[in-house]
Amino acid sequence: MRMALKALLGVAALALSASPALADPAAGKKTFTAKGCGDCHYTDGPAKEKTIADQLTKKGPELWYAGSKFQKKWLGAWLEDPKPIRPMKFNSLTEKNPGDHPKLAGGDAKNVNEFLMSLVSKDVKAGVIKPKKAAKGRLIFTKKMPCTGCHQYPAKKRAKYKGGNSGPTLVGAGKRLNPDWIYAYLKTPKIFKPVKSMPVFAGILKDKDMKNVAQFVATFK
Amino acid sequence: MMKSANAILAGLTLLGLASWVQAGALAADAETTFKFYCAQCHGLGGKGDGPNVTKNFPVSPRNFTNAKEMNKLSDADIKNVVLDGGPAASKSPMMPPWGKTLTGPQVDGLVKHLRKLCKCKGKQG
Ligand code: HEC
Ligand code: HEC
Ligand code: HEC
Repeated sequence: MRMALKALLGVAALALSASPALADPAAGKKTFTAKGCGDCHYTDGPAKEKTIADQLTKKGPELWYAGSKFQKKWLGAWLEDPKPIRPMKFNSLTEKNPGDHPKLAGGDAKNVNEFLMSLVSKDVKAGVIKPKKAAKGRLIFTKKMPCTGCHQYPAKKRAKYKGGNSGPTLVGAGKRLNPDWIYAYLKTPKIFKPVKSMPVFAGILKDKDMKNVAQFVATFK
Repeated sequence: MMKSANAILAGLTLLGLASWVQAGALAADAETTFKFYCAQCHGLGGKGDGPNVTKNFPVSPRNFTNAKEMNKLSDADIKNVVLDGGPAASKSPMMPPWGKTLTGPQVDGLVKHLRKLCKCKGKQG
């Protein structure tokens, strides 16, 4: 009797783990298409942008390497409750971000999260960058290079943040971005964003300093 | 004789037209380049009032419509600071280095665009 019950429970557990109620990338891909996400985001790499005009006609950021760029926990929560990332409206220098990004309900968000996290780039090596609040990274970010001119970052004093508005906020970058992607993006920016209004720092910063600054950005809360 | 002269004339006109159209396209390109890369800080009209310039921005980005200031710079000075950034001209690092981002012709176009904005020729020689 005991044995039979155990076996039955085992079967039930197995059935549960295979049930479609659990997150599923294929279902996520369907939802992504059905909800019109693909109208504003492309998910097939490599990068398609060749000219400034190509970049300016995009209605949203490219997502073909989302699984290498984002942290899964952050992405799942953001899809359900999106908060502005760019202070300015996408591709605008005059209008503020309206904060009207489409939301997904819990189950859909889980599936789309699985789908987006399955989109990875072979050009992001794992385990190279560990978050590190070190003086070298800080010096590059806040003094030697103009990073703060275009990016908000966490401030200690009264204000919650400081910095410019034309780039995505880096407040919370330590939870949002994969530290290894930050470094890969600085080192080989053209693979991910061939046309962008951020300067190319590869060849200006030494490899070691790109690592230092990536480690520093990865600590931003 | 007459015919070939006409043909040459037509050819020359076409050539002239082509280079005129090309110059127009280049100027339009320079404006697009300026608005995409430089306007973030210097403003769409070049007045130093882009969206990055908030009250805690440490230095004012150059106002390109100020002929008096812009006349202190030669074209070579502009090129130098655009390629290598503020520190190359003992200016603030908030002016980024664009040498690995922009092509030679893009930088030349930008110099011309800045001259259009200041309506000035700059320091000669
Ligand atoms: C009308 C165009 C539009 C549609 C439709 C749209 N998005 Fe977006 N998406 C944007 C824009 C613009 C941003 C940038 C938002 C910001 O910076 O706050 C964005 C940002 C994102 C990001 C973060 C990307 C990054 O690099 O910062 C993800 C992930 C995302 N969208 C997923 C989705 C999903 C999933 C859907 C479908 C439910 C969707 N989007 C539908 C325009 C759109
Ligand atoms: C002139 C403005 C400017 C400067 C200077 C600048 N950035 Fe950026 N940065 C941007 C813009 C604009 C983007 C978005 C590019 C895109 O998606 O097309 C960006 C994107 C990024 C991203 C990816 C953020 C995301 O969510 O997609 C990181 C990380 C980053 N920058 C770090 C840095 C660091 C580190 C520095 C200094 C070494 C720096 N930036 C200097 C404008 C700038
Ligand atoms: C991140 C903000 C930022 C961006 C983007 C930017 N600049 Fe600047 N620029 C500045 C600042 C700040 C100064 C003033 C530096 C100072 O006075 O110390 C400046 C100064 C200049 C000067 C005057 C230098 C001098 O010697 O007086 C020129 C020329 C210039 N920028 C050209 C450009 C061009 C062309 C672009 C686009 C390719 C551009 N800048 C993009 C911030 C920026």
